[in-house]
Amino acid sequence: MLNRSTMNINSPLSILVVDDNPLNVRLLETTLAKEGYNIFKAYNGPDARESACTNNPDLILLDIQMPGENGFDVIKKLKNKGDTASIPVIFLTGVSEIDAKLEGFELGAVDYITKPFHPLEVSARVRLHLKLSIATNSLIRSQADKLKQISDAQTSMLTTPEKYPDARFGVQYMSLHEAGGDFYEVLPISNDIYGYFVADFSGHDISTSYLTSSVKGLLKQNCSPIYQPLESIKMINDVLVEILPPGKYLTACYARLNRKTRQMRVICAGHPPVCYVPVTGQARILEMEGDVIGIFKNVLFGQETLIVNPGDRFYMYTDGLIESTDKKIVWSEGADRMLAACQSAHDVPISKAPEKITQLLCPDLSKLEDDIVILAIEV
Amino acid sequence: MNFKALGESLGLEEDEFIEIVEIFVETAVSDIKKLECALPSNDFAAVSDAAHSLKGSAGNLGFMDISRLSATIEDKARKNNITGLAPAIIELTALITGIKDQM
Repeated sequence: MLNRSTMNINSPLSILVVDDNPLNVRLLETTLAKEGYNIFKAYNGPDARESACTNNPDLILLDIQMPGENGFDVIKKLKNKGDTASIPVIFLTGVSEIDAKLEGFELGAVDYITKPFHPLEVSARVRLHLKLSIATNSLIRSQADKLKQISDAQTSMLTTPEKYPDARFGVQYMSLHEAGGDFYEVLPISNDIYGYFVADFSGHDISTSYLTSSVKGLLKQNCSPIYQPLESIKMINDVLVEILPPGKYLTACYARLNRKTRQMRVICAGHPPVCYVPVTGQARILEMEGDVIGIFKNVLFGQETLIVNPGDRFYMYTDGLIESTDKKIVWSEGADRMLAACQSAHDVPISKAPEKITQLLCPDLSKLEDDIVILAIEV
Repeated sequence: MNFKALGESLGLEEDEFIEIVEIFVETAVSDIKKLECALPSNDFAAVSDAAHSLKGSAGNLGFMDISRLSATIEDKARKNNITGLAPAIIELTALITGIKDQM
């Protein structure tokens, strides 16, 4: 999305054009400058990345076939840096094979123009994608504005396994205080696609309760088939940066499971790692690093995609179950204990698994130091 | 060769188009030199890259005969077969010279 928080009508939109062929660069520069854009130019990968960081263009046109660092290398590096990850990229290339196109989209390109390109076609697509960026940015601002107006704590209904039996999940939710900081949500995205979200707000106070309702609302709006999971969480981050009080943040884990394509995508935002217990093969912790949500505009979240099989299980949870100031355990150590507990729950139905895990890890609930959420998912 | 019409079809004024054709001629001459140097040493990759570059530039400006000829050279080079390409390069040179003469 646009790398600017406010649309200043007097500052022109800027485009970075990257191609090792100076003719292509000049052609695009001439065409786009006439449309009123500010044009930055680069003729190789490293210069392109430096220009993207320094100049913060609103869109990048990127050739794929370049000597040294090619376009795929460049986009991988751009997407791995908070400052440049959100800049929309359109690939320009002479390679027309479907695999190359799909790789481009998978790496995060928003569009793909094959060469020879017609400059007016490039101009039309640039306009379209800038409009989309502006629209998404407006959507985020309007979501943030609406949420700022909510002043009363709203009661939020917990989503139970009975409500969405096709989501095949089990959950254990125990709140230490009336207005808990931990919460979860299960989202039906389409017939075969469900989103699973577990999060932990810093701090336990009354304002956390209304924020929980706000995030659930944002999840419903932003977790849809048109957005990739990473895009959804980034959009939620952008809204929360606007509305969270200073110092308040959210750690979260978001998983999207497509039972038709058997693809599971997990996003981690500074949260304890997901435990993966497949039917066959080694159970493991999905180690991922990611920034927390709600503090920084430019963020990077961890992401892993897995192909899964029926019967495979995933366990998402908050740190209350494995962390203990009393025993001086932090969640990075406790994750192994969590994995072991998840594995031993393999013999109970998924709806009962969280309960069994809680009993194993915290037999005496009176000693609870924090909220507990465990969300167990079965493919 | 009607530069005004070619330019219009790309959304460019005649003087803008001519400026870009000047750059095209420069890069085309350089690409052809690369082809000529790469042939004797059987450097398939260099032949393919130079032909690819020329194909793209020519195609973008509407010089389709140059683009198609370059595509043929590129295809052959990708299959590690650069025999019999000398006439094609001579023809490319003639076509570029033709454009230069028009300017």
